[in-house]
This record gives sequence, structure tokens and C-alpha cells, in this order.
Amino acid sequence: MNSDRRVTPSDVLRPRNVGAPIKRTEDPRLLTGNGEYTADRKPDRPLHLAFLRSGQPHARIARIDTAAARQASGVVAVLAAEDIADDFKPVIPFSRMPNYYATPILPLASGKVRYVGEAVVAVVATSRYLAEDALELIDVEYEPLGAISRAESAVAADAPLLHEAAGSNVLIAREFKKGDVAADLQAAAVRVGGRFEMTRKAALAMEPRSYTAEYDKRRDAITLYTSSNIPGIVRDAVSEALGLPGHRLRVVAPDVGGSFGSKGSLYPEELLICIAARKLRRSVKWTADRLEDVSSSSQAFAEIVDAEMGFDENGVATSLQADVIGDVGAYSIYPWTCGLEPVQVVSFLPGPYKIGSYRGAVRGVATCKPPTGPYRGVGRPISTFVAERLMDLGAKALGIDPLEIRRRNLVRPEEFPYRIASGIIWDKTGFIECLEAAAKAAGYDQLRSEQAEARKQGRLFGIGIASYAELTGIGSRIAVAPGMPINTGSETAKITIDSTGAITAAFGVASHGQGLETTLAQVVADDLGARFEDVRVIQGDSDEVPMSTGTFASRSAVLGGGAAKHASKLLQEKIKRVASHLLEANADDIEVTEGKAVVLGTDRMVTFKQIAKAVYSDMKTLPVDARDELSATYTYDPINGTTAAATHIAVVEVDPATCFVRILKFVVAEDCGRIINPMIVDGQVHGGVAQGIGAALLEELVYDEDGQLLTATLVDYVIPSAPEVPVMDVVHVESESAVAGGFRGMGEGGTIGAPAAIANAVADALSPLDIDVSILPMTPERIFQLIETAKQKSKGKTDE
Amino acid sequence: MKPAKFDYVSPSTVEAAVAALVASNGEGKLLAGGQSLLPLLNFRMARPSILVDLNGIEGLSYIEDRDDRIAVGALTRHRDLEHSPLIASKLPVMSAAMRHVAHLAIRNRGTIGGSLSHADPAAELPMLATFYDATILVQGPSGRRTITPREFFVDALTNCLEPEEIVVEIEFPVLKQDGWAFEEVARRFGDFALASIAVSVLRGPSGLEAARVAVMGVADTPRRLDEAEAALVAMELDDRTPDRFSEVVVSQVSPNDDLHASAEYRKHLLGQLAKRALQTALAMKG
Ligand SMILES: Cc1cc2nc3c(=O)[nH]c(=O)nc-3n(C[C@H](O)[C@H](O)[C@H](O)COP(=O)(O)OP(=O)(O)OC[C@H]3O[C@@H](n4cnc5c(N)ncnc54)[C@H](O)[C@@H]3O)c2cc1C
Repeated sequence: MNSDRRVTPSDVLRPRNVGAPIKRTEDPRLLTGNGEYTADRKPDRPLHLAFLRSGQPHARIARIDTAAARQASGVVAVLAAEDIADDFKPVIPFSRMPNYYATPILPLASGKVRYVGEAVVAVVATSRYLAEDALELIDVEYEPLGAISRAESAVAADAPLLHEAAGSNVLIAREFKKGDVAADLQAAAVRVGGRFEMTRKAALAMEPRSYTAEYDKRRDAITLYTSSNIPGIVRDAVSEALGLPGHRLRVVAPDVGGSFGSKGSLYPEELLICIAARKLRRSVKWTADRLEDVSSSSQAFAEIVDAEMGFDENGVATSLQADVIGDVGAYSIYPWTCGLEPVQVVSFLPGPYKIGSYRGAVRGVATCKPPTGPYRGVGRPISTFVAERLMDLGAKALGIDPLEIRRRNLVRPEEFPYRIASGIIWDKTGFIECLEAAAKAAGYDQLRSEQAEARKQGRLFGIGIASYAELTGIGSRIAVAPGMPINTGSETAKITIDSTGAITAAFGVASHGQGLETTLAQVVADDLGARFEDVRVIQGDSDEVPMSTGTFASRSAVLGGGAAKHASKLLQEKIKRVASHLLEANADDIEVTEGKAVVLGTDRMVTFKQIAKAVYSDMKTLPVDARDELSATYTYDPINGTTAAATHIAVVEVDPATCFVRILKFVVAEDCGRIINPMIVDGQVHGGVAQGIGAALLEELVYDEDGQLLTATLVDYVIPSAPEVPVMDVVHVESESAVAGGFRGMGEGGTIGAPAAIANAVADALSPLDIDVSILPMTPERIFQLIETAKQKSKGKTDE
Repeated sequence: MKPAKFDYVSPSTVEAAVAALVASNGEGKLLAGGQSLLPLLNFRMARPSILVDLNGIEGLSYIEDRDDRIAVGALTRHRDLEHSPLIASKLPVMSAAMRHVAHLAIRNRGTIGGSLSHADPAAELPMLATFYDATILVQGPSGRRTITPREFFVDALTNCLEPEEIVVEIEFPVLKQDGWAFEEVARRFGDFALASIAVSVLRGPSGLEAARVAVMGVADTPRRLDEAEAALVAMELDDRTPDRFSEVVVSQVSPNDDLHASAEYRKHLLGQLAKRALQTALAMKG
């Protein structure tokens, strides 16, 4: 494995493609219905799966009677836990973290069920219709064990245990500490705090989870087509679980219709479908319907944070403490563990600010709900929400403008690299630059005078700022999830010019909407010296590279892009060597550009096609030892990764008649380093902010006290649609990072900044009524209740 | 999420459709636009033995001018009502309300007969039928009969039809009015209403001679608010009228709490909409 070699600007002779708003090469096929998603696979006479899912939140499985279902028309097999017990080894989401209990991943519930929606029995039939008919004939007898529906009550000493072997419902506990927080808070001029909550949320990719296991009888081999964004991790885990070596288990993520994290863990159904295919020696298909997707895919947030921040009289934040309780659902997830989301809340809470002392404690608590897992932004949407609310509360208490208080607390350019109080190190990034750029683009001072005018007319007009920083493109020195044993710190690029002169660049990353086929081709084209349209990018296929993980944690531009740059350079060297023979020139005098090798300053040149012919087919032109295969592989590891940052500014108006929030303006100034494709960066920001608007104003998964999901359809689970998403202004602060290419990750930021900015804007709008915002989403109902309570309070005051 | 097994027929006359329903012994279901029925089938919440498709019947889709009444065929699509110049001039409240019905794709398929029969308490067309006091014409094994909206809407998602009856036409009286308004609030544009009100006023020599008020989203069925109508006619018209009217309207409803809104919030919304609606209606010049 190679570590980073800093690429100097002169390495890139004339960047043409990187930086250009090139239209996505994926789009023509996707927009004309010619994409190939997992459900589009047509293996020979496939069988279809349907799952009987638990309607019980927590119950012992006393008896399962599948006799009638086995006899039903079209049914090939009915599988419950005991039918497959000998066919796999459980997958354990291991972590070196202390105070962590790893619940095993099982394909079907065994012994008991722990949430409504957990798969209990699988029916394999000749069609999905017949499989679902047979589900109705299965009889499961449950002995209820009592729902554990709220994390706060699950930690009580007498609460029933979801996992007896864990000895507690607290599956993970952790504390970060620096300095003497108690003393600093004591000494603070102003202390602000509150109890903040972000409710449970669904990722809701447009394509639900989907798997097709294609069975090859001749080799007892399986190709698993999966909607996953971590096909490499799935390959390794299923290989272990089923005892199938990698050359008999290929995992492919074809076109994938979004994930937002919900397709970024190994799922029980993924294991089950491979077990079924192997057991029945047939290909098997399954696609979640929307109900299954909402009620069994990993969910997001569900955290309550008690936090307090201390400021000195100049508005400098000196101290911060937080106690976080995360409702992690029924199981830990593979490979990230149930610590992923809640632990990140405390590790990122100090954010981009220079806070001297810190204490952040977190508990991840098991409840009868689907597991929480990665969701675009992981931990940071809520850590940013809390930190940014506290900043605004501090500003208000001290009478300092919210923009100014951030200026006083953000890490300044000369202070990088900076280690924040939770231990994360920020490398040089444009924190202040983003803040100032956003304020300028929004016309901040003008907005404040508009606000003063609006308030005179009694209008509820608010401005909200949120600044954040995140770690992206994480290398091997930092675990993406705490204590996780697998390496996600490197990515491989294998670039080949074949005997026809065609260029294929293979990666282990797995685009699920990010446009990596376009952006990676842009990088390869520039660094190899090829034409953009001549580069084919293959990704998401475990057969293409020896080891890979996938696309998550804003890593693919940094790691895939870095690998692409290095591999391109190596291949270009080979091209130059061959060309120097063919052109009888010194390799140093040859420039490779536009798919040709040219002797500098002359019109002598050879095309890649001619070079390929000389190497592979024409046995006369080159000496034998110069016929070096035109292929280069490079595994890139950025070691630490790099920081990305942004400031979001939201301007809203609350209508007191309807209690609806209207977003009047939304500005994002972001630093994602050198931009590969500004159109794609804008798209990622727009999409992220749209999801952030969902988190801020609309989306909430509601489970009742009996563990039943009340918002299981898209009538009740309300996501933003086009009219709810305003036009946005995106400003790019392009400060190059220190990793290859100067890139920074940027796929998640939109979702991190938007909820906090909107929360602050709504709080600002409602501040004349003395209302604070401490829970998201701020639905009209919640705003109505807040206004009513405020009216009662002020009535009480005037009555006194 | 696949429906249970069902049979399917596509009759070409209403009589044949009625016969198919009779033959199904109460196990059959009519299929119109399918926008409400198909989700129920997929959830297996409806398990008809046979679907009787109305879409092959000629002559069930029309908007007809009968002077003081407008007749609408049961298979008329929401989009046709939305864009009809006749509806715009004769039934302006309906015209204004139609764009709040779901989304374009759904309006392209959904039908008035289906919407009334589905009887969603937050759906616009049942509310409009109630507001206009429409006449619902149905056909069954023993011929045709007419039903008033008050009889027709029994409860949430429940109508008064016999299992073999089919809605064939809805006749809307053209109202004498010189001011009207339709107001609605939904979480997102196209969602079912959290609260909605329709108001129409006719001025008299002093004050109002007549008024009409209907609401939805605040009870198990759409409702005409007779007391509010009477109170409004009795009110003196001044700056305070919309506020007083709003209070009367709110006093007439007692919605339930649900996932999307508490009873108090719905009442608050309805009050605000009532005020706004009356202001708009009174501001119109005959
Ligand atoms: C996402 C979504 C959003 C929606 N939002 C709204 C909204 O905001 N406002 C709104 O009003 N509606 C809304 N709808 C419902 C839509 O208007 C439907 O079109 C309507 O409720 C049913 O009409 P249909 O023709 O599709 O009926 P179908 O779905 O075909 O049938 C509905 C029911 O009526 C019965 N039926 C159909 N025709 C007749 C008949 N002639 N006689 C007797 N019974 C009959 C059927 O057997 C069935 O029980 C929404 C639907 C969807 C899917």
C-alpha cells in the first residue's frame, strides 16, 4: 500500500476537465429509463422472496407453524431461523470500544423478536404475489415481553431487557473530556443550555432496498446484485458468514437509486437471500416495498441532548458539556455498530469552535425500533443543531450579533491545524471565509434591517446562521466508526488501456447518485492525458479490485479521486516509455494529452490506439522488454483525511395564522477544496439542503408506546417536495486541501447545516414571543403549541 | 405489497356493472380512477373477489349545463373539472378548490364518483357536494334513486350506498351569490387538508340575504354549518364581522387529535381560514 505523495500543481499540466461543469454521463441512461437497477436483473427463472415481519415489538417466539404455507401454490421453500441455522455464521458488528455490546446480525429473528417489522419467516415462491399469499398462511405464536419504546425509560433499572446477554439496554456508553468544564462553567460570564432533540427519521431513498442473488450451479457461486452503497464490505461479510471465498461470491451494486446511508450497512435480508439461493440452488430476487423500506431500513437521529455552554463577557465560548441519549433501536449494525450515530454527536459537538474545556457523555440505548444507522451527515446534523442553538443563545444573552459571535469563536486561518476539545484535528479549511462569504451573499446587514422593518409590522421574520466542520475522505489512521476493525481508509484504482486502445478505470467505490462515473473520469482524463469521453469508469463491483468498501462518509472524491490521480500518473509513465520508442524521442520530451503522446514542440505523435497495438499485437515494433502491459493500479490512503466546512444562512417567516414556516432565502457558502465538477457539487448541496429542510420542518417517524410505527406510509411520513424547497444560492470557497488533488468530501454537508440554520431562523423569528426552538422538526403543530404556551405565559405575566 | 387474488370484468354498460356487483354477492368492488382503491388493494386492506371496472362504460364522463344546475358524470376526472370554463363560471368555488386535490398525475385519473364514494373527510369533492347540496344520482338493481350529501356521507370512509349501487351522476345547483371564497391549509401543496372552508354570500338590502358555509378536515364527514350560516345572515356587517363569524364557525366543530394536527390546532386553523374566507367573500363585488 502506498501512502500519500503530495501532488504538486505542476503535475497537472493543463486541467481541462477537473473544474468544468460537465454533464453527468450517467444521466442519459437514467433519465430515459435505461438504467439497470438491482430489480431489473433478469436471471434465469428466478424465485421471489417475501418476508413475514413481526407485528410485535418485543415477544418470545413460542411456535411457528408453516405447514399450510409450504403447501401453498407456487411455494418452493419456507424458511424460519431453525431451518437455516447450519447455513451461516452470524455477523458480529465488532468494535474495540469499551462499554459496547455487539448484537449479532441474524438473517431471521431467532428466539424472540425485538421490533415491529423484524423479519421472522421467509417464503420463497415462483412469484412475489404467491409468496405474499403464502405469508398469510403462516401462524406465529408470540409471548409478549413488553415494549421498550423510549430510550429514557429503557435505562431504568427495572426496564425489561431487549438483549439479556448484554445485561443492560445501554449498548454503548462513552465519554469525552478535556479540561475542567465544571470550573470553566462556574467562571463563565454567561451560561446557556437546554434539552435538545432531533426525532427519528427515515432516509427514504427513492429506490427501496433491493437484492438479487444469481446462482451459478457449475461453481456453487453467487453473484449478489445489491442496492448497497458498501458492496465491498457486503462481499467480505457474506463471504465470512457463508464460507464462500471471494472468487465464488461477487457483489455488484449496479445503478442505485439513492441511499443517504440507509443502504450502507449489511442487512439480514442480504444474508438471507444468499443463504436461500445457495440452499435452493436457484436465483432469488427481493425488493422491499415502501412499507418494508420505511419500517426495516436503518433510521436516523433519535437523540436527546442536554447541553450547556459557557461564554466569557466577550462572547468567547470557554466551556461546553453535553449528555446525549441515543435511541439506537433493537440491534447494532454491521460494520458501523450502534455507536456510529450517537458517538459522533459528542465527538463533533464542539464543531468548528475553539472551546477550551469539554465534557461529552453519550449512551446508546436499545429500544423496540429498527436500528439507527448512517444517515447523510451522521451525528453532525444534531451536533450542529445543538452547538449552533447554543451559539445563538449565547449571542442573545450577551447582546452580540449571531454573525459576530461566530467570528469570535471559529478557528481562524492562522490557527490550523487545530485540535478541538473532543480531539478531532481540523486541517486548514476556510471556516471564517465561509462565514463571511455566506454573510455577504445573503446581504446580512440588509437582512437585519429588513427584519427590523418586518418586526415593526408585527411579522415573524427570522435569520439563522449555522457553521459546521466535518471530517471527510478519512484515511487509515482514523476509524470511520469508533473502534471498528475493518479498514475503510484506502481505495484502489485500476486503469487499463486494452488492445483496442480503450481506457477502463475500475474502482471499489460505489456511486448511488453522486455521479462518480463522471467525476472520476474527469480526474483520469486530466491526469492520464485522455479525452473525457474515452474513459469508462467501472465501480461498485467486487470483482474489479481486490479489496474495496464502497461510497460513504464523503470519501469517494478524496480516496477514489486520489487513487485515480496516482494510477493515471503511473500509466502515463508507461505510455511515455512506449511512445519514446515509437517516436524515437526522450520520454521527458513527450507530453500525453487528448489520448495522444506528442513530442513537445513538434507534430510527431502516436495515439493510444497505436501505442496499444505496439504493446499488445504488433510483435515487431517494440523490444520484448518494452512490451509492458498498459495498466496501473494504485491504492491510495490519505492517512488522516481532510476537513470540509460550510456556513448556511436561512431566512424564514412564520405565518402566525397557519403556523407554517416559509423559507424566504437560503445561502450556503462551502469549502470542498478543489472542485471537480461544480454542477455536481451544487446538486449535492441542493439535495442535502432539501433533506435538511425535511429534518427541520417536516419529517418524523412516530412510534407509539406499543412500538407500532404510526407514520408508515408517505401520506403520514411527510417529506419535502418541490414547492417546499426554495431556490438556493451556493457560494464555493475553494481552498485546496492537503490530500491528492486538493479535494475535500462534500456529499453530506447540506444535510448537516440546514437543520441548524433553519432552527436558528425559526427561533429568531419567534423571539419577539420569547420562544425557543429545541426540537426538530418544527412542525406547524409544534409552532402552534409554542405560540399558545407563550400567549398563556405572557397573559399570566400581565395578570400578575 | 401485492394485492390478494381477484377477478376482473370490464362491462360496457351501467346495467352490466350492476349485474356484476349483484353476481359477486357483495364481494365485488368498482374500479374508477383507482387512486384510492389500489393502495387499499396493495395493503390487502380491501380484498374484493372481483373488480368491476367502470372505465369501459361510455357516457359516464361529462359536464353538462342544465341552466340552474350543472350535471357531472361519475367518471369525470378531477382534471376536467379543474379546467372546465363552465365550472369556472357557474361553480367558481369548485373551480378554485380543484387545484388543491392531490397532484397532477392523480387528478388525471381520479374521478368525482370515486372521490365521493371513497368519502375521505378531508377530500375536496365530498366537501363541495355538501357545500352545494348536490344531488347524487345512483343506479342499482331496482333502478335509479337520488341521495343528498347529508345522507350519503355516513362516516369517515363510509357512504350509504348498497353494495350493488353505482354513483352515475352528481348534479350541482348554481348558487345565487355575489361573493365567495375557498380556503384550505395542507401540510404540502396537494396533501389532504388539515382544515378547509368554503363560503358564499348573497347581499340583501341590509346585510346578507343568504349565506352558505361548509368545512372539512375537522369532522368525520364534510359538514354544512347551518348555525353559522344563520348567524352570519343575522350579523351586522362591519369590520368585526369576520372575527365574529370565525368564532361562530369554530364553536360549531369539535375535531379529534390525530397524527397531523391536534384538535386545538385544527380549530385555530379553521378559525383563521373562516376569517380570511369571509373577508374575501365580502370584498367581492357581486
Ligand atoms: C397521493 C394522493 C393524494 C391525494 N390527495 C387528495 C386530496 O388532496 N384531495 C382529494 O380529494 N383526494 C385526494 N386523493 C384521492 C383522489 O382524489 C382519488 O382520485 C379519489 O379519492 C378516488 O377517486 P378514484 O376515481 O381514483 O376512485 P377509486 O380509487 O377507483 O375508487 C375509490 C372507491 O370508490 C368506489 N367507487 C369508485 N367509483 C364509484 C362509483 N361510480 N360508484 C360507487 N362507488 C365507486 C370504489 O369501489 C372504491 O371503493 C389523493 C390520492 C392520492 C393517491
